[in-house]
Amino acid sequence: MTTSQQVPVADELFEVSVDGAAALVGSRCTGCGTHYFPKSLSCRNPRCETKRVEEVLLGRHGTLYSYTVQGYRPPALFGMDPWTPYAIGLVQLPEGLRVLGMLTGCDLDEIRIGMPLRLLAEPLYRATDGREVLTYKFSPLHEEETS
Amino acid sequence: MRPVYVLGVGAHPWGKFPDKSQLQLAIEALTAALTDARLGWRDLQGLVAASSRFEGGMGWGLHANEVMQAIAENGAPAINVGGGCAAGGIAVHTAATMIASGECEVIAALGAERMPKGFIPRPPGIPDDITDTDYLRWVAIGATNPAYWAIEARRRMHELGTTAETYAQASVLMHDNAVANPLARYRKPITVEDVLASAMVSDPLHLLEICAVSDGAAAIVLGSEAQARRLGVPLVQVAGSAVATGRFGDPAVRIPTISMNADPTVQHTSEVGGAVRAALEAAGMGPGDVDLLEMADNSAWHVLAWPELFGFLEPGQADWMIERGELGIGGKLPVNPSGGFLSFGEATTAQGVLQVCEIVWQLRQQAQGRQVPGARVGLSAVLGLGANGASVVLKS
Repeated sequence: MTTSQQVPVADELFEVSVDGAAALVGSRCTGCGTHYFPKSLSCRNPRCETKRVEEVLLGRHGTLYSYTVQGYRPPALFGMDPWTPYAIGLVQLPEGLRVLGMLTGCDLDEIRIGMPLRLLAEPLYRATDGREVLTYKFSPLHEEETS
Repeated sequence: MRPVYVLGVGAHPWGKFPDKSQLQLAIEALTAALTDARLGWRDLQGLVAASSRFEGGMGWGLHANEVMQAIAENGAPAINVGGGCAAGGIAVHTAATMIASGECEVIAALGAERMPKGFIPRPPGIPDDITDTDYLRWVAIGATNPAYWAIEARRRMHELGTTAETYAQASVLMHDNAVANPLARYRKPITVEDVLASAMVSDPLHLLEICAVSDGAAAIVLGSEAQARRLGVPLVQVAGSAVATGRFGDPAVRIPTISMNADPTVQHTSEVGGAVRAALEAAGMGPGDVDLLEMADNSAWHVLAWPELFGFLEPGQADWMIERGELGIGGKLPVNPSGGFLSFGEATTAQGVLQVCEIVWQLRQQAQGRQVPGARVGLSAVLGLGANGASVVLKS
C-alpha cells in the first residue's frame, strides 16, 4: 500500500501491497475473457457481444518483449528526479496483454529480450507538497524469486 | 461512381516559417494547386481541410471554412476532417468521393501545419486521469513518440537481425532522395557514419533516424474526367483511395496507448494496412502493380518495415534490398522519392496531401532530379494518432 507520504502518479492505475509488490488495475471482459489496461469502458473485441467488463488486478509478472533506452528528457508532464537515461520496456503478460512500463533494477546494458520481470512501484520524484510520487515499473525477476 | 482525376497540385516548402501563419501557408499551397490546374478561386466547388491538431484559429485546427472566408467567399461547401496525421490522406479520399459521386465537378483537399519544436507534447483540454492514455504514457512512463518507434525497431533487430547500420542506411536513402527536391527541408546528403554519430534519442534510434517536425502545406485539386480534358492537364487518375481504423489484436505499439492485446495473426499497423489493401482493391490492383511508395517514415524502422507489413516485400527483405539500392529511385521498389518524413520533413496533417502531390509529380514525369523512371502507378500510406489510416493509389 502507498503510505500517506506517497501518492500514485495517477489514481486507479496500480495497487501496491504491504510487501511492496504491485499489480496493475485493469479490466476483464466477462464474455470473451479479454484483459485491458488501464481499466476500459467496454470490451473492444468486435466478435464479442457481451461488452461487460469487470475490474481485475493483473501484470504482477511478465517477460520482456522489446525495449528502448530513452536518452532525452521527455516534456515536463513526465516528472523524474534526479533525471537519468532510463529504459522503457514492452512486457508480455500471461493475461495476453503487452504493457509499456519503465524498467528498473538492472543496468541498461544488462537488458535482454525474453528476460522474466516482476512488477513493483517506485518513486519518480517528490511533489511540491513533499509526498513521493510513485509509478509502476518492471524489474528483473531473479531465479531465487521464481522458486 | 465516376472516375476522378487530378487537376492540379501545389505545396509550400517544408521547414520552419515562424513569420507565416497556418492560414498563410494554406493559402499559398492552395493558390499553387489552383494555378497548376489553370483554375481560379471562383471555380472551386468545395474544399476539404485536413484539420490540424496543433494550431489554428476558429476552434482547434485548420478549417476549410476559415480558408474560404479568408480568400474566396463563394459559398462552396467546406468539410473539415480529423484523423491525426492521417487527416491529409482522409481529406484527399473525402474530396475524391465527392467527385466520384457527382456532387462536385472541381474540389480541393488541403493540409497546412505549423509544428511545435522538439517532442510533440500532449494537446491541452483533456482530463488528467486514467481515461486518457495520452496522459498516462507521459506521467507514468515518459514515453515519447520516438520511444514507441524504437521499441518496434529493437524488436525487429531481435526477430530479423536488422543492424544499426541498416537503419542508418534507411536515413541515408531518404536524405539522398531529398537532395534534388526543392520543397524538402533537408537537402544535404549524409553518410551512415553521420547517422550513427548523431545523438541517440531512443535506443536504437538516433536523431537522424526520426522525423523532423516541420511547418508546411500542400493542396490538390480534383475533378471529373470532363474537367481534366477541358483544362488539358496531364491525365493522372485517382485509381483508388481508402480510409481505415485499427483492428482488435493489432500487435503494433500504437501511440499513445500503454498496452495492446497483441495477436500475431492480426495485421500489424492494421489501420494503414487495411487502408492500403482497400485502396488497391478499389483500383483493381495488387502490390506488384505499384511503381513507387510515398509512406509515412516517422523513423528509419518505418522505411524498412512498412513495405513488408503491407505486402510489398517479405519480412526481412527490405534490409538486403536497401543494401543493394533496390529501395532507391532507380531500384525495384522506390520508397519516398520525395525524401520522406526523415528528410523532406514532417508537417503532420499536411503530409498525407503532400504524399499525393509527390506521386502526381512522379506520374507526370515532372519530379526533376528524383524522377522514378517510367513511373505509372504510385501508392501513398499514412498513419494518424488514434488508429487512423489512409491510402491513395494514383495512375497515369
